[in-house]
Amino acid sequence: MAISSMTQAAAGRRRRWFSARARLITLFCILVLPALALRLFTAVWPIIATIDWSFRRVDAMGAGNYVGFANYSRFLGDQVMTASFSFTFWYVIASTILQICLGLLVSLLLNAAFKGRAIARSINLIPWAVPLIVAAMGFRWLLDDQYGLINDLLIRVGLPPVHWLIQADTARLGVIAANVWRNTPFIAMIFLAGLQGIPQDLYEAAQLDGAGPVQLFRYVTLPLVLPLVITMSMFFAIWQLASFDLIYGMTQGGPGFATSVLAWQIYKQAFQAFNFGYASAISVVLLLVIALFGAFGYMLFRTRQV
Amino acid sequence: MKFLRSSKIGTWLGFALFAVVTLLPFYWILLSAITPRQDLFSSPVHYWPEHPTLDNFISLFTVIPFWSYFINSSVMSLLSAFVSVLTSFLAAYAFSRIKFRGSNLLLLFFLITTALPPVSTLLPLYDIFARFHLLNSLAGLIILVSSMIVPFTVWILVSFVDQIPKELDDAATVDGCPRWLAIFIIVAPICMPALATMFVINFVIAWNELLIPLVFSTNVTAKTLSVGITELAVQANSMSKPWELISAIGVAMIVPVMVLVFIFQRAIVSGLTQGAVK
Repeated sequence: MAISSMTQAAAGRRRRWFSARARLITLFCILVLPALALRLFTAVWPIIATIDWSFRRVDAMGAGNYVGFANYSRFLGDQVMTASFSFTFWYVIASTILQICLGLLVSLLLNAAFKGRAIARSINLIPWAVPLIVAAMGFRWLLDDQYGLINDLLIRVGLPPVHWLIQADTARLGVIAANVWRNTPFIAMIFLAGLQGIPQDLYEAAQLDGAGPVQLFRYVTLPLVLPLVITMSMFFAIWQLASFDLIYGMTQGGPGFATSVLAWQIYKQAFQAFNFGYASAISVVLLLVIALFGAFGYMLFRTRQV
Repeated sequence: MKFLRSSKIGTWLGFALFAVVTLLPFYWILLSAITPRQDLFSSPVHYWPEHPTLDNFISLFTVIPFWSYFINSSVMSLLSAFVSVLTSFLAAYAFSRIKFRGSNLLLLFFLITTALPPVSTLLPLYDIFARFHLLNSLAGLIILVSSMIVPFTVWILVSFVDQIPKELDDAATVDGCPRWLAIFIIVAPICMPALATMFVINFVIAWNELLIPLVFSTNVTAKTLSVGITELAVQANSMSKPWELISAIGVAMIVPVMVLVFIFQRAIVSGLTQGAVK
């Protein structure tokens, strides 16, 4: 009797525990559902559909027959696409390297003990508050051939004016400069938070050992912010691979297709030419590039941590 | 001592360079917005507003439906911020408090979906929206924009909820308060500063969004200011693009964000750095 009542009690407890657990998990599902539904509807399902479409003929009339790798071979044979592919790559690499290096420099400035620090930190937030499309227009106007500020400055110091957005190489320089101007402050802000997390006594100990400012940076600051540098580089590289606003506002991929990136070509093929199948194939190529960057960043992160 | 002084000078020089480079494009937009057109298109360039005017802003109302675009931008951004913060907070609470096998994987899944580029997801969505006559609706824009910000918001809010002692909501449930209610009356008020910060940040991100309204809004009922500025840039006339109007709408887009950023500077910085630095 005693034993069976004990097992009954245990079973009751277990049942209660189970039902409490079941209730908790039900609550979990209810709480996560709205956010999950949003992501499934606007990100996961469309990506799967895009992969499917990339193997089909899809136009304004809707999805048609499967055409195998036709869209992909069209991509490979399209000079504009291969050029866009390589410019996307160089645009992201150059922008990210410049943003990370300048961001680190600016964060050191924002962390330095001097009277202008509070003002510098406020100024640093301004580019972040400027919408990308406004920054794009602003730079396009700055670099205007005839009435732009930059050419006026060049003339004033006795240099010849430059046809910034009309020549391929200077146009590339221009969009990278605009991108670096807009995003460096954000990176500097994150690095500043990292710098503020470094214990002060590490610097004091190194100074007691006779380290100068360069050595302090090399042996104390840099190793401690390096994990943050790697994570930020990865995030920014991945995010900028899909960047669209700046190119759209500044050059529309021009002159010719000198500043064309994959995201712009996807938009152009889909919403101006209504070649949805082809645009989907370009999307999948972009996805693969992003996955590669992500895997590379993850490996870098792992080797640094171990 | 001598070294200290030279490093001070270096710091100020660095500051001067930083300030000029950061402020110059911003100043150029501001200057162009209050300069009459004939002054803008003359060489050499005027570095100072010689005939400051608000005419460019007034012309905005006649050249484009500025008022509708402004209201659309505001409604879209406010509601996107609200929807994204609410759904992310609920999810963040669940991820922080209710752990079971696979729950962390689901969180990871959320984060990985941020890497999916919006431009690659828009094609099937456009197809569906067109089929169900959802193009040109603010509700459609709000769903798409808020979803885009959800993963980042969940990520940051999870770390905030983690900092709140679990005992607080456990105590409430022991006292007979159902857990779902405890989320709203115990946890949410404590998280209020974090929720407000995320609301401001998400408002700014939504306000700046171009691609989604550009694709999904084709008429005045759902076009936003970011689309308006691109419409102005398409208009070319005999001389050049209407840079005075483009600058004016640019300023109109920057000002609300700038006000928010300077009011909530400290909160925004802590909110944005929360996720990255741990």
